[in-house]
Amino acid sequence: MKARGSRDAGPSRAVEVVVSLVLRIGVVLSATIICLGLALLVARGIISNEIRIDAAIPYPRDLGALLSGVFSLDPASVISLGLVVLIATPFARVAVSIVAFAIERDWRYVVVTALVLTILIAGIIMGKAVD
Amino acid sequence: MPTFVCQFAQLLAASFVAGAAGSLLGLGGGIIVVPVMTLFLHIDFRTAAGASIIAVIATSSGSAAAYVRDRLANIKVGMLLEILTALGAVSGALLAGRLAGPLLFVVFSLVLMYSLVPTGRKIVSELRGRTAAHKAGDAVAQDRLALAMGLEGAYFDPSLGRVIEYRLRRVPLGAAIMYVAGLASGMLGIGSGAFKVLAMDSVMGMPIKSSTATSNFMIGVTAAASAGIYFSRGDIDPFVAAPVALGVLAGSLFGARILPRIAGVGIRIAFFVVIAAIAAQMLLHGLGVGR
Repeated sequence: MKARGSRDAGPSRAVEVVVSLVLRIGVVLSATIICLGLALLVARGIISNEIRIDAAIPYPRDLGALLSGVFSLDPASVISLGLVVLIATPFARVAVSIVAFAIERDWRYVVVTALVLTILIAGIIMGKAVD
Repeated sequence: MPTFVCQFAQLLAASFVAGAAGSLLGLGGGIIVVPVMTLFLHIDFRTAAGASIIAVIATSSGSAAAYVRDRLANIKVGMLLEILTALGAVSGALLAGRLAGPLLFVVFSLVLMYSLVPTGRKIVSELRGRTAAHKAGDAVAQDRLALAMGLEGAYFDPSLGRVIEYRLRRVPLGAAIMYVAGLASGMLGIGSGAFKVLAMDSVMGMPIKSSTATSNFMIGVTAAASAGIYFSRGDIDPFVAAPVALGVLAGSLFGARILPRIAGVGIRIAFFVVIAAIAAQMLLHGLGVGR
């Protein structure tokens, strides 16, 4: 048990530093990719005077279409890739904390965090099964 | 100005405000960007909800990077309660596809109004006895679950100039509310941080700033649990979501810088006002007034 009444109460410093770092990397990477996609959108001249932001410019709805779109530098696919990186960031944060808690030998939180990750993955699989 | 560029700029600006407010209040940006999209830009509710999920994840990841480092967010409390919010989010997202838009608006506003009652009471008691705010956190006896899972915490508060230590109580009740929070999140595309802040602040006795910071840490995971479902359904339009993501990220980084310096009661009053305004607006829209 950690001493109470000191700044050391609560989770360990190492886990916090790692979690904070993963979040920062995810956010910066995602914003960079989205900006690249927007630059491609402008470069291709897809935006016209009449078009609304939610107009029917086609965009990928699954990872396969997204990846093939990214390789052909389709702006919608590149922006979607940035959004997928953003969506993946909390998952990465959870996955990395399992490892961080294991290194700290805090087995209670290895179990807790693994459970959260399992539910997240189940959510994605079920989402595919529904439609 | 072309419609696309104009709407892009409007969404970017609204999202910056949403990210800043969301990171301060533990709400995720959804609560502000959804009304802007549906009421002002007339974007379809499903597309708006998809972009809102992105806003929530961006607010959470952007601000939590700082909150975790500053120990304002308690990652053990967050991780433990995420089991419930993630379960709720998955079940909520599966239900959302079967419900109509106007009904969702009404549910959305009722969820928000419900969260106002205890917050209002706390503001009144804080303004009467100014020092009560942090005593509650210090004085409580930890319940058995909080003790077993090591849920106590401490952080340095620059606005008070001292270290705030706290212990938690009524963790099982807080956890039950977290499931409902996740359910609302999955159904409505909002982080339902209102419920999360409520559970930690009012029920579990966590200081308000730690509650909003920990809520911010958590809402990203809750939203990510639903985001995969929204993505495969085609509800995440990259052209609407791009300005939302960028604006919210910038706003949340700004908000996370100023939260430590603001007094707790100020956070709570802002929380109350924002939720009251949005709830009224969404209820009117859901009931078909002003359409």
